[in-house]
This record gives sequence, structure tokens and C-alpha cells, in this order.
Amino acid sequence: MNSLMFNVKISLFARTRELEHSIDGLHDKIIEMTMVFKEAVDIYLKELRSEKYRQISKKIKQIEHDSDILRREIESKLYEQNLIPDMRGNILQLVENLDRVVNLFDEVAHKFYIERPDIPKIYHDQLKTLVGEVSDCAENMAIASRAFFRDLVTLRDYSQKVYLLEHQSDKTSAKLRNEIFDSNLELAQKIQLNTFVEEVADIADLAEDCIDALLIFAIKREI
Amino acid sequence: MLTYLFFLSSGLFLGWSLGANDASNIFGTAVGTRMLKFSFAATIAGIFIVLGSVISGQNTADTLNELGSINALPAAFAVSLSSAIAVFLMLKSGINVSISQAIVGGIVGWNVYTHNPTNAETLARICASWIFCPVISGLIAVALYLIVKKITSHSKIHILWQDWIVRVGMILTTALGGYALGANNMANVVGVFIDSCKFEPINIGHFYTLSNIQILFLLGGIAACIGVFTYSEKVIKNVGENLLAFSPVVAWIVILSQSLVLMMFSSNLLENLLTAINLPALPAVPVSSTQAVIGAIVGIGLAKGGKGIKWGLVLKLMSGWVISPLTAFVLSYISLSFMENVFRQQVMIP
Repeated sequence: MNSLMFNVKISLFARTRELEHSIDGLHDKIIEMTMVFKEAVDIYLKELRSEKYRQISKKIKQIEHDSDILRREIESKLYEQNLIPDMRGNILQLVENLDRVVNLFDEVAHKFYIERPDIPKIYHDQLKTLVGEVSDCAENMAIASRAFFRDLVTLRDYSQKVYLLEHQSDKTSAKLRNEIFDSNLELAQKIQLNTFVEEVADIADLAEDCIDALLIFAIKREI
Repeated sequence: MLTYLFFLSSGLFLGWSLGANDASNIFGTAVGTRMLKFSFAATIAGIFIVLGSVISGQNTADTLNELGSINALPAAFAVSLSSAIAVFLMLKSGINVSISQAIVGGIVGWNVYTHNPTNAETLARICASWIFCPVISGLIAVALYLIVKKITSHSKIHILWQDWIVRVGMILTTALGGYALGANNMANVVGVFIDSCKFEPINIGHFYTLSNIQILFLLGGIAACIGVFTYSEKVIKNVGENLLAFSPVVAWIVILSQSLVLMMFSSNLLENLLTAINLPALPAVPVSSTQAVIGAIVGIGLAKGGKGIKWGLVLKLMSGWVISPLTAFVLSYISLSFMENVFRQQVMIP
């Protein structure tokens, strides 16, 4: 009887440990995605849709797929194990929000692959800056989200960084779009480039929305 | 014996209502925040209420006996029933009270009816404990709240493991709270039947003998258990809306403070210890678990800045703490008069 109870306890602890690892794994995937995305845009600007870009595009797809599996695991484990009943709804929403950010990275990278936009060299530096800001914004969002589970002070610090980076990316994208429409490019190309810039900037907006919700969950988490 | 059991029925009814109402103070927040399942929490609380009643229940009975030792069975029945009705009337009017206050009013009613002098010192001690109980509970809750807040903000424990710690804490507190409720409050339920107790001691194997008084307390404990299982879930669900405002950690602090206060007011050991080191002793007096819970909630509310406290509601609840002993006093006086003059029963053995 005692040994049975001991086993039940161990198995419950092991399952909680697994869930903790899944949550950490999801955050690792987001951070990995931000790095790979930055690299992918660099490759595209240098080589357009080369074999190297195709490989990195596949890698992005794989990260998106892995994070989907982790999200489903977290959602089902939270309910199966009846854990944190008061925060469960919030955590499900948080995981869904994180997943949306990952999906948007994948969509933008795929769009580069499909549409093969012709981006004049003059805009390369600004686009790289924008992609850098957006990726950093999402990375800081992932760190803040990870901190939500352990350390609310760190959550606030990184949330501030997300807000600053999002604001910065807004300015960069506005300037870039302005320059695109001031140029002598064909209207069709202007519209295509504008859409790309908007979608890249949307990643930071989504990260900011995620942090807004996270800070409200954090108020609930404070005792 | 049958007559005794018949008269004891009002005490057992009081025991049932103790289980039905006060169980929500022990584990209501744990079930309300969905941290523990009702059946699991009720089983633990039930076992420990019985243990607390049988092992330590008599400590507070001595104080009630000092207040007025009701020696006639029909009188015990009338006092017990009056207290139960007083509690019921208060609950109906939406004021959550405890049996502790009502039974004291009932006993004083018997003293006045039978021209028995009321021990003023004991009465003052009991009334003082009603003021100290929520205050001490509030202070303990604030201290626990600040300590837990400090620990959670510095420990960086993962939310999942915090959940485990709070759950285990709630299980232990439910056991402690059950024991404390049995130890502190069971005298309210069966205390007035002690002088007229008709049970014989029972030997359990060769090791332990249940005294006649312990059997009485065991019956009270079982009645409370039945109350826990048959009705407390409804009480918990009724107050569920208020409970949802708490986080599980705060819910746990509230029930822990309440349990500690009940233990403090039940322990002869602590009373002797405090007297030995020349500190004011906490007497073994039946206090109200509801008062302790409200004291803890108000304490934490004040520690958070005091904005969320509904003072009107607190005053309404406090008024109940005065009205319920007065109601029980009046009902006890009237029912004793009925018992003596209409049913021709003896209400005091000279």
C-alpha cells in the first residue's frame, strides 16, 4: 500500500516535471525561431530564394511544427493533471498567444519563399534593422513569458523591453513604408513591399499584445 | 438510556449543524478554489474532527461548565435546541454566526431561569476571547501573508511547484483545522450533556479506554461528520462567489490562521506555558471559527491596503455576534419555562 502511494506520488511529480519541461521547451522554440528568422531574412536579401533559403525555410517550418506539438501537450497535461485551477485558463490563453507569434514568423518566412519580392538594395539595411527589432521584441516576450512562471520582477523588466522595441519597430516600419511610397517604383511593387514591411512589423505588435495579457495575468498571480 | 438518547438528539442536531456550517471554514476555500476535491477534503476533515473531539474536546468544556453546569437532562435539551434555533435564525437572516456564541447565551439563560449565579469572571473571559479570536487570527494572517509574499517573490519557484506546495499545505491545514474544530467547538455541542452523561466507559483492546465523556464527544464528532458529508457542500457552494476572489495561496493562509487560532484557544498546554512565563494566558474557550476566518480575511485585506474590505458587511457580521447570544438567551429562558411548566420536566437538580 505504502509502495503504491509512493509510486503514485513519484508519477505525479514526474508528470509535473514533464509539463514544466514542455513549457520551457515552448519558450526555447520561440527564442530559436527569432534567431533563425533573422538569419533567413539575411539569406534572402543576399541570395533570394536559393537552396540555402529553402533549407532555412524548412527549419522554420519544423520549429513551428514542434511548438504546435508542445502547445497541445501543455494544454492537455494542464487539464489531465488538474493543475493550477485558478490560472489554467490564463495559461492556455498565454500558450495560444505565444503560438500565434510563432505562426506569424512562419507565415512571413513562407511568404518570402512564395512571393519572392524584389527588394531594392537601398532598403536592405532598414529592413534588416526592422527584422532585428521585431526578433528582439519577440525574444524578450519569450523571456518575459518564461519569467511569468517563476519570477514576476523579471517579467516586468522584460515587458518594458518589449514595449520599447515595439515602439522602435513601429517607427522603423513607418519610415521604411514612407520611403517606399516616395520612391519611383511601380505601384504594384510598392504595395507588395508595403505588405511585407507591415507583416514583419505585425510580429512586434502581436508580441506586445501577448505582454499586455501577460501583465494582467501577473496581477492575478500576485498573492 | 433511551430517554437520554432522545434528549441528546438536540445536541447531535447541533453537532450536525456544526459540521454543515463550520466545515466551510476549514476547507471551504480549498474546495472553492478547486485545489482539493470535496470528497477528499471532507474525509480528512471528518476523521480529524472526530479525533479532535475525542482527544482534546474536553478542554474547552471545563470553561463552559464553569459558566453554568447544567445538571438536568431536559434543561440540556432545551438549551441545546434554543442555541440551534438561534443559529438557524441568524443564518436565515444572512448573518454567518457560530454555535459558540449561541451556546453561551443559552447557558446564561439557564443560569438566570434557575437563579443560578453566573460566574462573571468566566463570562468576561469568554466574551474577551470573542474579541481576541478575530484580532489574533487577523494578526497571524497578516504575518503569514507577508512571510509567504516575501518567500514567493524571492524563491523563484515554478508556478507548477507552487501549486503542489499549496495543495499539500491545504491538505495538512484541513487535517489541523478539523482537529482544531473538534477540539475547540465540540464542547458547544455536547458540553451541556456532560453532567447528565449516562454512558459507560468502553475498553478498546487492552491499551485504551474511552471514558464516558469521550463517548459523548465521539457521538458529537460523528454527528458533525454527517453534517460535513450531507450539507457542507451546499454551504460551500453558496459562499463560493465570495471565495473566488481569493487566490489559492490567500485561501490557504485564511484557513491556516483560523486553524491555528482554534488550536490556541483549545490547548491547556499553551495556556499553562503562557502562564508559566508570566504572559497573559489564552484560555481554553470555545471560540467561533467564523470569527477567526473573518478576522483573517479582514487582516489580509488591511495588509493589501484595505480598499477591498466591505466594512458594512463586516459590521453586519459583528452585529450577529451580539444578537445571536442574546437570541439564544431569550429562547433558552422561554423554552426552559415551557419545559418546566408545560411538559413538567425538571430543569435543575438542586
